Parts: sequence; C-alpha cells; structure tokens
Amino acid sequence: MNAQLPRSKAAKRLALLEKFSPVLAVLVAMAVASIALIIIGKNPLVVYGTMFYFAFGRMDSIANILYKATPLIFAGIACAVGFRVGLFNIGVEGQYLIGVLCAASVGFAVKGLPVYIHLPLAILAGAAGGALWALVPIWLKLKRGVHEVITTIMLNHTAFLFVQYLVAGPLMDKTGGMGPGGVDLRVRTPALLPTARMPDLHGALGKIGIDFPAGSVNWFLILALLAAVGLWYLLWKTPFGLELRAVGHNPKAAETAGIRSNTVIFRTFLLSGAVAGLAGLSDLLGYFGYLDIDFPRNFGFTGIAVALVGRNSAVGIVLASVLFGFLSRGGMGIQIIERVPMETYYILQGLIILCIVMASEVIRRYARAQQKKEEASPNA
Amino acid sequence: MAQANAVLAIQGVTKRFPGIVANGDVSFDVLEGEIHAIVGENGAGKSTLVKIVTGLYQPDEGRILFRGRPALFRNPRQAILAGIGIVHQHFMLVSNFTVTENVILGAEPPRRGLIDPKDAATKVRDLSAQYGVKLDPDRRIEDLSVGEQQRVEILKVLYRGAGLIILDEPTAVLVPQETEELFEHLRTLKRQGKTIVFISHKLDEVLRISDRITVLRRGRVVGTVKAADVTRPKLAEMMVGRPVLFDLKRNEAPPGEDRLVVEGLKASTGRRSILADLSFRVRAGEIYGIAGVEGNGQTELAEAIMGLRRVGGGRIHLAGEDITNHPAALVRKRGAAYIPEDRHQRGLVLPMTVWENAVLGAHRLPEFRRGFRLQFPGIYRFVEEGVVKFDVRLTSIQAKAETLSGGNQQKLILVREFRGDPKFIVASQPTRGLDIGATEFVRQQLLNARDQGAAVLLISADLEEIIAVADRIGVIYNGHIQAEFSQDEAEPKTLGLYMTGAKQGSEGGRRAS
Repeated sequence: MNAQLPRSKAAKRLALLEKFSPVLAVLVAMAVASIALIIIGKNPLVVYGTMFYFAFGRMDSIANILYKATPLIFAGIACAVGFRVGLFNIGVEGQYLIGVLCAASVGFAVKGLPVYIHLPLAILAGAAGGALWALVPIWLKLKRGVHEVITTIMLNHTAFLFVQYLVAGPLMDKTGGMGPGGVDLRVRTPALLPTARMPDLHGALGKIGIDFPAGSVNWFLILALLAAVGLWYLLWKTPFGLELRAVGHNPKAAETAGIRSNTVIFRTFLLSGAVAGLAGLSDLLGYFGYLDIDFPRNFGFTGIAVALVGRNSAVGIVLASVLFGFLSRGGMGIQIIERVPMETYYILQGLIILCIVMASEVIRRYARAQQKKEEASPNA
Repeated sequence: MAQANAVLAIQGVTKRFPGIVANGDVSFDVLEGEIHAIVGENGAGKSTLVKIVTGLYQPDEGRILFRGRPALFRNPRQAILAGIGIVHQHFMLVSNFTVTENVILGAEPPRRGLIDPKDAATKVRDLSAQYGVKLDPDRRIEDLSVGEQQRVEILKVLYRGAGLIILDEPTAVLVPQETEELFEHLRTLKRQGKTIVFISHKLDEVLRISDRITVLRRGRVVGTVKAADVTRPKLAEMMVGRPVLFDLKRNEAPPGEDRLVVEGLKASTGRRSILADLSFRVRAGEIYGIAGVEGNGQTELAEAIMGLRRVGGGRIHLAGEDITNHPAALVRKRGAAYIPEDRHQRGLVLPMTVWENAVLGAHRLPEFRRGFRLQFPGIYRFVEEGVVKFDVRLTSIQAKAETLSGGNQQKLILVREFRGDPKFIVASQPTRGLDIGATEFVRQQLLNARDQGAAVLLISADLEEIIAVADRIGVIYNGHIQAEFSQDEAEPKTLGLYMTGAKQGSEGGRRAS
C-alpha cells in the first residue's frame, strides 16, 4: 500500500544543501587557493582582504565589476538555455563574435537612421548573427546526428578567424583617421555611428544618487538583467518553457506525451545563439565603438562556468556573473597592491569552477545513494 | 522456538531502510520437505526477506536458523555452500554457453585444474534424470525456451547440492503450460526430499502448489496457514488487509464501428523482423487484449501505433484517418491516449512536478494557456480534480513525480491520459508492479472508458488480466497475431499454445517466423 509520502527531514536537508552547494564550493576553493598563496609567501587573509577592499571600496570599482558582469550574464543565459534542454552549447564564444561582427556592420554601414531605430537594429543584428552561427550545428545534429560539442568548437575557431580576416581585410578602416594625429592605422572597422551607440548609465544613475563614472556601466546591464528575468519567465511561466524542461529531463517521455522534441531542441538552440549574440554588444556598442582585432574574448567559455556555478537559474547566473566580475577586478587589485601574480586569479577562478562541479556531483551521488537506499526497501 | 522439523527458522528478523521498515519482526518456520509459499503485494517485503536469507543483506535484528544452527550468511556464496539455492526471476545464464557449461560454471569439478567435459555432461545428465528434468545438456541457452532456461537454473541449484530451494516469482515469465511443467518438477523435487520456498503474488498458483503459506503485509507476517485451510478471497484479504473484489463491473453493450484498424503492419530493427504482417481491429466500446510472451513485438506495436516508431509497411487507421508514421503529437490530436509500459522512461518526466506531468502534452490547450503564459488557475484546478478522481496520493501537486510510489505514478499517468475522454487508448502493461488495490482501480478505469465508448487496446503479459478485462483477445507471437478469441472462448491453456508458437494461426495459417 502506498501511504502518504511526507518529505522526510533528510530530503529537505538535502535540497537545502544542494541549493547552497555553490557557496560552499566557493569557500572550499578559497581555502585551497590559500595553499598557493602561502607557497608564494603571501598571507591569504591579507590577500583576500585586499581583494574585497579593492573591489568594493570605491564606486568606480563596483561599476567596473558590473561592467565585467554584463557580457557574462548574456553568455551564462545562452549556455544555461542549452543546458536546460540537454545540449552543450560550447559555441557561445563563436556566436558572440559573429554577433559583434553583425552589429558592428550595421553600426558603421547603415547611415541616416535615428537612434531609436539604428540602435535596436544593431542589437537585433547581433542576436541574428548569434542565432545564425547556432543554426549550422543544430541543423547538423538533428539531420545528421553530429554532436553539437564537436561542431560548435570547430565553429568557434571558424568565427574567430573569419572575424579577424574581415577586420584586417575587407572591413578594415583604411582612412587612418581614427587615432590622434590622424596617422594611427589600427586594425579595426570604421567607427560606429553615434546613433548605434548604447548610452551609459552615468546620467540615469546620477539622478538617483549613484555616482558611477562615465564610460563604464551602460544600458546593456539593464538589458542583461531583463534577459535574466526573461529566462526565469520563459522557463517557469510559459508553455515553451515547460516543453524545454521536459525535453531536457527526458526527451523520450516528452515525445510520448505529444511534444515534438526535435522542434523544441531546434528552437531552444537558436534562442541560445541569439542570446549569445548579445554578449559582446556591451563592449562594442557601449564602450569601444568599433570592432578591432583585440576585441575581448572568452566570454563564451566563462559563460559555461557562469551557467554551471549559477545552476542554470536566472538569479544564479546574475550572482555568478557578479562573482566572476569581482574575481577579475579583485585579481587586479591584489596584483597591483599585493604584488600577487595575475595567475593566482586564474588559479582561484579555476578552483571555484572545479569545486562547484565536484560539489554538485558529490551531492548528486549522495542524493542518489540515499534514494536507492529508500527504494531498495519496498521491493518485493 | 523453532519446530523440531524446521529446515529454516526465521526468528524476529527486522530490516530497516531509511524511512521504512522492510521487514518487521518476521518469524516463521519452513518445514522439512514442504513447499512453502511466501505471498504478499509489491512492497510487502518478500524480496528483502529472500535477500536476508541468502546473505545479500544483513538483518538489523533477529536471527535465522538453518537446520537448527544459526545461519547468518555474509554473502550469497556462503548460503550456497550451506545448501540454500535460489532461482531468481531474471535468469543468470550465459546465453552462448551450453546447458552443461552453465550448470557447472562457478562450481567446476576440478581434475588437475582442468574440466573434463564428458564427465561434466554425464553428471548433468544424471542429475536431470534423477529429478525428472527434461533437458539436453549439450544445447545452448539461446536455443532454449524460457521454461527450459528456468530448468537450467533449477539444475544449477541442484548441482550445488542445495537442500532448500527458493524460487522468486518463478511463474512470472511462464505461459500456462510451462507453469504446469514447473509445478510437476517441484512436486518431484519434493518427493525426493527437497524443501521448496515459493515466492509469488499469484494466489491461484500458490493455493495449487504449496503446502503452507506465509502472508506478508507491509513487512510483517500476517499469518502462516495451511493451503488446504484457506480460500482465495481469504488469502487476498490477508494480503491486502481488506476484502477484495475480484469481479470487475462490466456492462455488456454491443461494440460500435471500427475505431482502430491495423493492416499488415511490418517493422524491423536492422535485419531482425519485429512486426510481421500484423493485422487486427478494435471497435468503439470494446477492449481488445493482446496476449503473448514478452518480446514478441508488443512494445513495438504500441509505439508504432502511437507514432513513436516508424513502420516499414502496412497501414494504421484511427477513426477512419490514416495515421501511419504520423508523429505522436498528431496521433494524440486524433484522440489517442497512451499508457506506456515503462513509467520511468516513457510515462513520466520524473524530476518534474506532479502538475507539470499531468498537463504535459495538453499544456497548449486554451484552458491551460493564455497567449505566452500558462494559465495556472486552470491547470491547478484540472490537476487537483484529477488527482482526487484517480485517487493519486501525494503531499502536493508541486511534489516531484519521482517521490510518488509506483501505483501513484501510474494513476498520475491516468490523470493525464484520460483527460478529455480519449477515443482510443493504448494501455501497455498498465498494472505491472501495482498492488491489488491499484490494479483493481486501473482495470476498472479501462472498463469505464470502454463503457463510455472508447476503444481500448490492452497489451499485457498477464494472461489473467487479459482474460478478465478484454472483450476480444489476439495472441501475438513473433510479431504476428496468431489467433483471435472472444472473451468467453478464451482458455488459458489454448492461449498458451499460441503464445509459444506451438499452434499456428487460425487466420489463414500464416507462418510464424
């Protein structure tokens, strides 16, 4: 007979543990990184103290953290959407580069539009570029069964080299009039028109008393937060979100219940690519105003870590992005003040990812073992 | 205290798992030379008890006496050495080895480190002769029928000198003829002085074969009775804890028009043919049962109808429309519902909540959706009502499906599949693993759907179920319907002949393989 099954205390404790395992993992990672610090003769407490103080002690530093977090939120969402449907989109890296390329092209090549058309058009171009770059791998997967990890990795290289080629070739600004003195010939596209540029938050935040310096955080931060809300809404409030999660957990059961798994997978992957296409726009439209050969890289790979640390949830991704922003900013601080090499920051970042992956796996296995124990008993 | 002639005395055995007492103070004796049945529903603690007796689990409390001596085996090997043999429900045989090789495997007669194949074959042959077990020692396992494979398992146990033989649900995989033969063997073994423990939940069989019966319920012994002293209803009541109705309510109404027509269906994986020219039709207001030994194409047939597997030939019509090779979503749109045999893989998305599972597939209907937003009040109302109607016991519809028991998971699937009065229902092994109460409930729901005019295709390995519920019965063998019967002409033995392919099709006598 099946009596009512109240959730046992153990199960509740387990759920709580699972929820906070990233926090635990960060602490463990800091402890392990301390060993490295001690070996190079630094006091971990002092180093961590400096890190916090440097990162949070000044308004412009906080602004910098948020600026660094902005692309990571987009990249994290892009990865999380893929993870939720059971796909490993490693191609966010390539997708955002293509997104940047498309947005930049619209930004400098389309002329004579008012800002309220030009800017949205550039943003849409970025999303479209990302989705386009995601189209090939998902098409190959569904039609030919090619694993998306292989194709997306390959397309990352393709995207990078393609962008380099265009920026250094057909799209290069040969007028040379960009640098001071008019002779500077950098490898970059022509400057984007002012109508395609994203305004920063200096003015808006100044009105409510927050003094972020000009030229740092721009409106893409707000867009990123809206995207996070959108992710939450999509997953938990919409029919498509229900399908996406069902396919992610058990495509066979979803199919049996009358959901077209392949259609859901296809659309989700394109969505992932479209969001990925936004990741580079904060830097492009909000800061540089041109696409050059040294455009920031690795948002895509950090995005995987962000999604992992944030457990594919909207709130988690935002928090994880800020964490990575803090680590990078704080890393700068300890480098300057404590003379700790930048590599230490990479060690810490790597350890955090490692610890979180391990913690979630350990807890998952522990939960499964507990469950098995409970299941083993009523078998007759 | 153990009785003097007890071979096995189980005394106060208790085994707890987190949150549940699998065995609570279990005590009974198995007497020398008897056939002793242990019955109980799924979850009553039968398996746990067997695992304790054979040394797979250690009890938390209590002890076990084997031939008067304390016998707490630390592993199954010790139990075998002591003379306790077990025949598992799922055979543990090497399929490309011969009978002899399987029997001696792990207990090879040593002769200067080598195996003498002739000597071994002779020994196996002698053993089968002694116990009247008909088997050719040189045949390979893969060429044997299920019943014969089970005999190999029994020989294995005898070869190791077991005096006490435990059979765990031995008839679950057998057709009626094979069950008869098994019982013959068991009686022979008993005459030769072996003691047999027979674990089952099929009450008819238990009453037929055993001398005494111990009933377990929720991990505790309800009683040990002589088979001659009890009736089937009495035994069922002991098992369930309340009187059980064996008669399902069924209205006799003439069936309507053809609802599902399957014609000449063919399917294969690789070169192996799975469905071979399979044809049948189910009418509105009728339950069509498909009987057969598992693995004869039943799963594939259900999947082919529901659009989850492509067929290579033939047609499927539902309510007059061709649905051959249509995707599942479309087949469902035409009014089909599906209770899959595999609850965990196909039936439910276990990590998702009860309500999510209950509306999955129907969530885009106007009553559950407004634009881009799920309509939670409508969804929750439907699920709450469904959960009450189908008696799904749960803490909350926000609980994950994986936290429900098997019976409640199955009822949750009913909530989803019976929504909107389906025209046609495929029910694949719908009561597998369910307790008597849930089984009764599920069967009644199928009958009710039929009474309301639905066509039901019932696929079940449980012959009793097919005969009790179906109006017409088709026997499937090697992916082909061998013969059809109406409910009143269906005899288990006749069906059994067709199920094993011993008798060939009445429909034009087609070749089976």
